[in-house]
Amino acid sequence: MRSVKRGFRSFRRHPLRNLVVILLLFVCLAFSLSMLAVKLAADSQVEEVKQSVGNYAEIRVSSDYRMALFEEERSQDPSERAAQARTMTEEEQLEQRTRFLVPEELADAFSQETEIITYDKVLETQITLSDITNTELETVISLRERGPQGEGPAALSSNMFSFEGNTNGASASDFMLGSKVLVEGSFYTYQDYLDAAPVVLIEKTLAEDNELAVGDTITATISGESGRDAEVELTVLGIYETVETEQQAEGTNMETFNPMGDTFYAPLSVVQTLNGTPGYVGLGSYYFDSVDSTDALQQAFDANIADGDTYELATDYSDFETIADPLLKVGKTSMIGLAGALGACALIILLAMAIIIGGRTRELGVLKAIGATDRQVMAQYAVEVVCICLVAIILAMGITALISQSMGDWLLSGNQVAATDTSQQGIVAGGQGAPGQFMAGPMGGNSLYKEGGRFSVASSQEQSTSLDVVYQGNLFLYGVLILLGISLLGMAVPLVWITRLRPARVLSME
Amino acid sequence: MQDVLEIREVSKTFRAKSGDVTAVDGVTFRANKGEVTVILGASGSGKTTLLYLIGSLENPDGGEIEVFGEDICKPEADLIQYRRKRVGFVFQFFNLITALTALENVTLPMDLADASSLEQHERAVELLGRMGIDERLRKTKANKMSGGEKQRVAIARALANDPDIILADEPTGNLDTATGRIVVDILVGLARKDGKCVIIVTHDESILDAADWAYRMEDGKLEGIEIGEERNL
Repeated sequence: MRSVKRGFRSFRRHPLRNLVVILLLFVCLAFSLSMLAVKLAADSQVEEVKQSVGNYAEIRVSSDYRMALFEEERSQDPSERAAQARTMTEEEQLEQRTRFLVPEELADAFSQETEIITYDKVLETQITLSDITNTELETVISLRERGPQGEGPAALSSNMFSFEGNTNGASASDFMLGSKVLVEGSFYTYQDYLDAAPVVLIEKTLAEDNELAVGDTITATISGESGRDAEVELTVLGIYETVETEQQAEGTNMETFNPMGDTFYAPLSVVQTLNGTPGYVGLGSYYFDSVDSTDALQQAFDANIADGDTYELATDYSDFETIADPLLKVGKTSMIGLAGALGACALIILLAMAIIIGGRTRELGVLKAIGATDRQVMAQYAVEVVCICLVAIILAMGITALISQSMGDWLLSGNQVAATDTSQQGIVAGGQGAPGQFMAGPMGGNSLYKEGGRFSVASSQEQSTSLDVVYQGNLFLYGVLILLGISLLGMAVPLVWITRLRPARVLSME
Repeated sequence: MQDVLEIREVSKTFRAKSGDVTAVDGVTFRANKGEVTVILGASGSGKTTLLYLIGSLENPDGGEIEVFGEDICKPEADLIQYRRKRVGFVFQFFNLITALTALENVTLPMDLADASSLEQHERAVELLGRMGIDERLRKTKANKMSGGEKQRVAIARALANDPDIILADEPTGNLDTATGRIVVDILVGLARKDGKCVIIVTHDESILDAADWAYRMEDGKLEGIEIGEERNL
């Protein structure tokens, strides 16, 4: 305790000398802590991004396989193809219908991977509902028929409706993302999927136009079949409303614009029956633990599911990269800055202490000659070093709170410019985004699962434009660690000096 | 008179690039309580090394140094306590801590020896008073003092823990004659009045007047000097 007091008094006795050292340390520490704050913020934001982006995957028929089938069909003569269709067995017909679908068992098998947290299976198809009409679609069709283009497309009918099936109504992406909201009734459940309960969710306008309410029934016809056996009675379980997003209101996002509201949501097993493709799904959709598991899942998929190049695993890794890359770069840059500044701090404290102790060699000799132990002398000098470092770090922490955000913005802007440049180069060179993008090829630039969904490019850019350098509590802890580190380093000089010093030598010097 | 210090066949050799230098070569002598022992010698004769050997700032290569019958050269000797309680140094270049005031310089050895703050202050004031350092000078930093003042503060510091032996290395070397005389008188007074064992090494032969015992050191060897019939040789 006495040594602490002596050290503190000694620190106060050399204000000018200490001020110079403190100022030098302060500059380096302020830079170090700012870099650290930026690094922590960047890492934290990358972790946040990891929780929402980069952990989604889909299994579906690969685009290469689709292209190969299209090419094969195109090379066939239409009459030959029609003749072939007429002579098809039931098995061949099923194969024909499911060529762009994924066997449900494969989707289930992949869900057993340990990294998978939740999964769903989705099938989208067009179903004829003979007793209701899509009035809005009817208007579109009549306009086309009267227009200069003549007849509307043969496939377009006001009795044709989009059906989307999955294992739980509430987890359908449109409802999860909020683009559609249930306003009446309830969602179908996982049990409904298991029981193949014939229930549907219907769009509000369509329900009103056809005077349908919750509990009413509608008749659907199984694809490719006819007669009473092909009819399925579906009960309206819920009514939903489409939320008009800002982009839709401005008419800028045509991809998500769906004025017809013709989508029915039903349990997957029901849609499979209506489509005549039991045991097949359009895609398996998965949320896994973290973007860090992407490689492992890809390997597992290639080894167990891919079946040559028939199926592909598409992930939103490129979306993650778009958002996280500037943050990761900022993290790396700030780490380099931090290391450099801490190195400078170490150098300053070592040099400063060498000069201070060198100039006080005689004092050390006197202290030893009058009975001070090495420990007492060390403690006194240690307190001086700690006081210097403490004042410097307190000042540095104060200034860090003021400048770290600007530092972060500056680093981020630099890295965003770099990222944009790289991205543009990639587009020019390969047409599929930045070079080295994981899964860029198979994705073909399309958004996953639902266009305009949570992984849309617009939202990615919005997230990546800001870095919130919050003055976190752990920064204080790191500050204390840095303080301890440089203090210990600073103490190393007096420690070596004191233990090696022979008082008899220095006391004889003039 | 009680023997405080007895040195037997003490040697010290330093290794230098030009070869080994024997600074102290088989030195034997005694010093008593209440007496002033003066060791005369030219620069480089080894007298300061001998003083540092007595003060335990150097370790001898051979021989024994007994203080009150205890050999301080033994590995088990508590040299820290020895430096705190048994010896007090007075140096030619004062070796005060310049950033400290006179009072702080004097309290420092007591502080290191864990004396209470009150005790430190009272004793330092008393010692400085005895050395003729007034209240104003007590609060003056060492670097603002004259040579004589510094040396008087250094003597007060040497006495802080009330040691038995005062080791003075050229105490007048940096002072004018009159001031040097005052310092010598103080040291003599410490022996005569306080019963201290005072050992002065110097090249100044005028100090011999104050000596009870006198020796000349040359090339590390010690020889007795006859300093008068009334005093012992």
